[in-house]
Amino acid sequence: MSPNMNATYKRVLKFLWRILWATVVLHSASTAQTSRGADVAVVVNSDTPVADLSLSEVRKVMLGERQYWNSKLPVVLLIRAPAARERDVVLRVIYQMSEAQFKQYWVAKIFRAEAASPPRIVYSNDMQYELLTALPGSIAFVDSRNIRAGVKVLRVDGHLPGEKDYPLR
Amino acid sequence: MVEEGAVRRRLPVLVVLMIFAAGAARAQTAPPDQTEQIRILLERVQQLEKRVAELETKTSAAAGPAAEAPAPVPAAPKPEMAEAAPSPGPVHQHEPTESQTTTRQLEARYPSLQIRGFGDVNFSTTDQRGAISGFNLGQLDLHLASALSHKVTYFGELTFNAQPTGYTVEVERSIIRYDYNDFFKISFGRYHTPIGYWNTAFHHGAWLQTTISRPDMVRIGGTFIPVHFVGLLAEGNIPSGGAGLSYNAGVGNGRGSIISRPGDAGDNNNNRAWVANLYSRPTKLYGLQMGVSVYRDKITLPVVNPAGNEFREWISAAHIVWTKETPEFLAEFANVNHKNILTNAITNNQAYYVQVGYRLPWLEKTLKPYYRFEHTHTPLSEQLFTNQDLVQSIVGMRYDITNYASFKGEYRNFKRLPTDPRANGAFFQTDFTF
Repeated sequence: MSPNMNATYKRVLKFLWRILWATVVLHSASTAQTSRGADVAVVVNSDTPVADLSLSEVRKVMLGERQYWNSKLPVVLLIRAPAARERDVVLRVIYQMSEAQFKQYWVAKIFRAEAASPPRIVYSNDMQYELLTALPGSIAFVDSRNIRAGVKVLRVDGHLPGEKDYPLR
Repeated sequence: MVEEGAVRRRLPVLVVLMIFAAGAARAQTAPPDQTEQIRILLERVQQLEKRVAELETKTSAAAGPAAEAPAPVPAAPKPEMAEAAPSPGPVHQHEPTESQTTTRQLEARYPSLQIRGFGDVNFSTTDQRGAISGFNLGQLDLHLASALSHKVTYFGELTFNAQPTGYTVEVERSIIRYDYNDFFKISFGRYHTPIGYWNTAFHHGAWLQTTISRPDMVRIGGTFIPVHFVGLLAEGNIPSGGAGLSYNAGVGNGRGSIISRPGDAGDNNNNRAWVANLYSRPTKLYGLQMGVSVYRDKITLPVVNPAGNEFREWISAAHIVWTKETPEFLAEFANVNHKNILTNAITNNQAYYVQVGYRLPWLEKTLKPYYRFEHTHTPLSEQLFTNQDLVQSIVGMRYDITNYASFKGEYRNFKRLPTDPRANGAFFQTDFTF
């Protein structure tokens, strides 16, 4: 192999290494961006007879497989509108679905006569808190930095938001 | 030559500009950027909301002790009372009234009728002898759901079916359900029989299923399993921890004089059919469902013949599905046992299908290739069914144009009777919900 060829190979390798390095740096930056922010708290109306749920129980509630807290109190699902971080966390961790799959899931659920309506969409934290305090049995997801009085924050898998193994982040 | 040289010199610049322009245009339409912008705006709204709340608190504190009492939170109205019109508030209470109105708008109202439609348009061509290629309009399907109270709900499904002489309207489902709790819900009406998985998972909405058509064993208008059922059905969860057990159990008319129909206008004998379905959705394997079903009936044919016209039917079925799309896996098996009451002659008919699909990660996850193999066997000694033998392979691709519409294309290779030649066909469909 001639010295010229060797130099060319080195340059190509150097170029490829830079691309790889840049990709890794950019990827980690974007990952850091998506995972930033506080934990997402599971909050319920203060009269709801529940304080601690496992993640799979939260999933069951959000999938509409558990529709009653007890025989007199139906579950009322509240979810933030698309693009809110709380919704992203709920879709990623609980539903494990994309936005399209989530929409299709609820169309199918109602079509199967398993639920009468999809989760109610809320557009802001204020609206969310109004509904949480006004609707018995309601459950919602809020940024743990914005928790207000008058609602109950649930433990998930035994952990509160901010604790080490809290799953909703 | 001078011009040619200038063009050559400008060409790379033009190419670079075009690449940049394309990149810029793509950046303008790329959803992740828009999502990020919306996210930033929402965060800004939240910050402003927080700021307004802080200012309101300060203003209240400055107004003196009389204003310190927290604003009374509107008492949670009983769901049945939610229809009450909001009482007009004084002008200075504009903001609370507005928020209360928003709350009221989102409260449950009864009855709350929701209508959703499904439709599909098909094109097919096969090399089967005598087959005619062309377009056909699939079922136009209207689904109704209406909560009558927080424990009582009505569900209905109507289809409009194209026929050579016009359209027929069919009541596919009409159900009123009373919920006691998650463990016991009872309903009355016309259902899709809870045997196996497909029949109660996708109903008549072609858009909901990955493939163009249902498997032959649960074909609409088919006879292999009774697709519809008129009667009552109890359903619910079974306290079973991580096993995630649920059940359906029903009693109804069973097959009618035309065995593909459920006897909507009344049973044709004094024997009720019953069905039981037990399935599990293990909590640790989110996406998995497996279950078993049994169905028992006495069938009375309207034509009396010397070999007898009454049969005992016993259907046993099992299914296992993985409902996530990376991959999707559906498999079902059913055995239909018929016993002639007069001669005691017994026959067993079997059918199964296995379907796999995979949602590809590219093009915003809009593509889903799939494959299905299905097999139906009816013995020559079968007295109730006409021959339904089928061996079929389907390879296809689903493309989701939007969240609510898709295109599907399929190649099918199939064979009905042992004496028939294998046939090939191409099938296309666009289906949607609205």
